[in-house]
Amino acid sequence: MEIIKTESLSKFYGVTPASDNISIHVNEGEIYGFIGLNGAGKTTLIRMLLGMIKPDEGELSLFGKKMNPRFNLWNNVGYLVETPNSYPNLSVVENLKVYYHLRQLNDLSLLESIIQDLKLVKYKNVKAKHLSLGNKQRLGLAKALMHRPQLLILDEPINGLDPEGIVEVRELLKKLARNGSTIFLSSHILGEVSKIANRIGIIRNGKLIKELTNQELSEQLIKKVVVQTTDNTAAIKYLSSNNYAAVINDENEIELNEKKAILQPENLSRILTEAGFPPKQLYLFTEDLEMYFLRNIR
Amino acid sequence: MKQAFIAELLKIRHAKIVWVTFIAFSLAPIMGGVFMLILNDPVAIENAGALSAKAQMMNFSANWNSYLEILTQAVAVGGVLIFGFVASWIFGREYSDDTAKDLLALPTSRIKILNAKYSLYVIWCFVLTVSNLVVGALIGLLLQLPAPTTDLITAHATNYFLTTVLTVIIGTPVAFMAIWSKGYLGPLGFVALALVFSQIIAATGFGYYFPWSVPGLFSGAGGEYKEQLDTYSYLILILTSVLGYIATVSYWRYADQEK
Repeated sequence: MEIIKTESLSKFYGVTPASDNISIHVNEGEIYGFIGLNGAGKTTLIRMLLGMIKPDEGELSLFGKKMNPRFNLWNNVGYLVETPNSYPNLSVVENLKVYYHLRQLNDLSLLESIIQDLKLVKYKNVKAKHLSLGNKQRLGLAKALMHRPQLLILDEPINGLDPEGIVEVRELLKKLARNGSTIFLSSHILGEVSKIANRIGIIRNGKLIKELTNQELSEQLIKKVVVQTTDNTAAIKYLSSNNYAAVINDENEIELNEKKAILQPENLSRILTEAGFPPKQLYLFTEDLEMYFLRNIR
Repeated sequence: MKQAFIAELLKIRHAKIVWVTFIAFSLAPIMGGVFMLILNDPVAIENAGALSAKAQMMNFSANWNSYLEILTQAVAVGGVLIFGFVASWIFGREYSDDTAKDLLALPTSRIKILNAKYSLYVIWCFVLTVSNLVVGALIGLLLQLPAPTTDLITAHATNYFLTTVLTVIIGTPVAFMAIWSKGYLGPLGFVALALVFSQIIAATGFGYYFPWSVPGLFSGAGGEYKEQLDTYSYLILILTSVLGYIATVSYWRYADQEK
């Protein structure tokens, strides 16, 4: 089932497109990572998904229902938009109670359970204004997750979290997806998106310039074997004579991007050693999402 | 809407602003009490100078009639300011605290959330006026003002609460200004302007058609100008209030929410 479906969605501010003809389909149980530079249009799209901003053109539906002021499946949706602010004079638990009532829930154990899941037990009676940035983020996530929604729309969910918090949230999101929740998240921490998302969309100047699955991403990432020997010039001549297309890079290392080198770097190591050029260093380099992203938006 | 109202009640927990409005509003019965004290004491009248001159100029005497008149006029004039402050805070805080976006995609509809806010506004304002009446009664008893008749109390209570109603319902445009300007400053500026214009327009003799002057004129703050109030005066006030409410609901429901 398609949980999120947008067709040619556009929003203009004057003549500037904040979203330009965006069509996205997100399936049940999928984690969709949405990446782009600041001002690329991520938040505008998220606000349109949440019915806060009306698109100028195109169609948008959640759970197969068209988004309009009468859309009423909001208890199936949890969200976090931009900075997760809370009522500063209310404690963590009081803040959650506000949304507990607004979400018309009737199971108080949900409050305790989300406080535990997000490791907020120690801070439950602390006023929101006294929380650290990381704990404010946890509180924002707690508001989004408290009612166990089927769809989570998260804008920069790991902003401000410490490394331990990032791992916890990553595991929590993966667990939710395993249990059938669909997650749409935007982030500029690209490494994190690549660890979580099944599918990634790249937005630039309001346009979706690339959309690919984890598998497709993995195939498109640049991979190469990097070798360092005692005599790189001689070694590269020897490799060329053995039908390896090798080049010297800016760091004066030997680079090989052929499949046979990438799939069997041990053969390369053996050949070089036998020829008297034992590698001082040999490693398989894989481009990360950040490099891939920058390569694609430039 | 019950759940939305409970949420609104939760939000005002620990809010110092609640006490600030009660303290600010109670200045009126306290000042009224000072007037009564001065008027009750011939020596004080001579020493109080401008204050006693003002009290005498307004034909006040040290009795319940004058004291209740002061309280009613304070609701009309001070109410525009304090009630406007309350509306600015209830509706504007969501933008100042950056929590408005968390109210827009919930099973409780945006209209119910607004209605809960309006309900809180009305109750808050009424409690403020009742508290002033209680403070005033205590001060009056303390000053040992001559016992009032039941008719006098009934007439003033009716006037007092009708003035409250007129002052409260003119707060809807302030709520609209808060969500339109996305914060406190816009509505507070609007309240200040409304108050200034209500005084100027009332002084020029046309206050009976300016909605923010009507409560003041009705309370008797404009003396004989109260007689100028007619059906149109109240209709204009009610129309302004209804338009303020419709504008708030429409904007909250249909306009793009980017903050």
